[in-house]
Amino acid sequence: MFKKIIVLLMLSMLVAVSAQAELKTNSEGMPIIKVASDCTWPPMEFINKDKQIVGFSVDLMKAAAEAGGYVVEIKNVAWDGIFAGLAAGKYDCVTSSVSINDKRKKAMDFSSPYFEVTQAVVTNKDSSAKTLADFKGEKVGAQIGTTGYFAVKKTDGVIAKSYDEVGLAMEDLYNGRLAAVVCDNPVAADFALQQAEYSKRMKIAFNVKSNVAEFYGVAIRKGNKEVLELINKGLAAVVKDGTYDKITAKWFGTAK
Amino acid sequence: MKDKPVKIEITDGAGIPAKNDAGLISAWWISFIGAISIITYLVVTKPDPYKDILMFVPDGILVTFQVTIFSIIGASIIGLFTGLGRISKNRFFNLIASTYVEVVRGIPLLVQLFYIYYALGRVLLVPDMLSAIIAMSVCYGAYMGEVFRAGIDSIDNGQTEAARSLGFDKNQTMFLVILPQAWRTILPPVGNEFIALLKDSSLVSILAVADILRRGREFAAESFQYFETYTMIALLYLLITLILSKGVSHMEDRLNHYDR
Repeated sequence: MFKKIIVLLMLSMLVAVSAQAELKTNSEGMPIIKVASDCTWPPMEFINKDKQIVGFSVDLMKAAAEAGGYVVEIKNVAWDGIFAGLAAGKYDCVTSSVSINDKRKKAMDFSSPYFEVTQAVVTNKDSSAKTLADFKGEKVGAQIGTTGYFAVKKTDGVIAKSYDEVGLAMEDLYNGRLAAVVCDNPVAADFALQQAEYSKRMKIAFNVKSNVAEFYGVAIRKGNKEVLELINKGLAAVVKDGTYDKITAKWFGTAK
Repeated sequence: MKDKPVKIEITDGAGIPAKNDAGLISAWWISFIGAISIITYLVVTKPDPYKDILMFVPDGILVTFQVTIFSIIGASIIGLFTGLGRISKNRFFNLIASTYVEVVRGIPLLVQLFYIYYALGRVLLVPDMLSAIIAMSVCYGAYMGEVFRAGIDSIDNGQTEAARSLGFDKNQTMFLVILPQAWRTILPPVGNEFIALLKDSSLVSILAVADILRRGREFAAESFQYFETYTMIALLYLLITLILSKGVSHMEDRLNHYDR
């Protein structure tokens, strides 16, 4: 019995080791990087009506891949557990509007930053709140494990509610169960201003003040230099040749 | 020759350690002592993160218990009336009860939770905790209805005939003669449903109800310690269901007392 257990353990270690192996290449010899995105975060990454994964970061990753001489395969993975899958080697990187922060840096490596965000607070149109502290005793929602949720949790007296998807939090705000939802500003703008039904009742009230600028980065498994270098090379190339500005203009109307 | 009645019980609840089942009793003790010692060992030897996790989830345990207890009360009430409806000779009540059971059993609990919370949220605003309890009650009420029906069916027809000939009317017969006897048959499976319901209550974490699982996920999402967090969550659920199944087994023993 114990022999069997030991054999099983060794086998599972073998699998774990092989997951760390080098990148596979496609028929043309270009390395394939497997990318995980939680596609519930419009306009950064989401599923369109044709069930395709689209968005700003999708276009950016594809352009960077072309410039950097590699191929990306994007997979839709639920946010809750997306980093566990990265650590387990199920994919090579996470491009899912991941804000770079110190806590995450301990668990994973980051590419060079590719987008600056702030945390925006979406409320009902009639709300007069100016800071998060104004929601004392009220429920404020955010997606689980996001910088928006951490900001809510840090605010004393506010009841923090964590949702699996930011869309579910927005729906609860629309229905009146929440006083506010906190998320990245491009996403807040998409929900509160672009969606016809939501824009009737909701507005972006203010941004959460922070003394440190917040940037998105591509999260890469700790120590995986190969992928890190490829992605940084690609990102640098698209910024240099102006493709980055074109993609920004396509998704946000104005070049930043 | 009269065949010995075969009784096959399949439930989603934990195995109930009955007195005559030595294997299950040892298994219960092994799991129970195992779970407690692993939790203690982890918390003592690696307080970071195991103690932190343990300190993070208690309010979640409370929420899980609240949802479970209120749902079991709600489900029992719905179940009683469904069971009565299912055996009713009144075509109308019978049809309502049967249709309810048929519809509810055909929809997954997860979908029911989404439906009551998000879909109905557009028309009727039910607070999160209450909608979790309503959804669980409605779903388990259908299962309990079948338990009640079987319990009432198990009481010999002679009891009804005797009560009726003594001048009891239909309702008196049901509530004063049949149901008090049926309780003894009904209670053990209700205990089972209770345990099954507690486990299924982990589904309410999708409604942003802060139960054990949601608290664990919040901890894991912030610390990235998935292995440690879910180990602890699994052990906690195991410990709670083990204690409950022991409780149900005691209850069964006390009820059996009357049969001797």
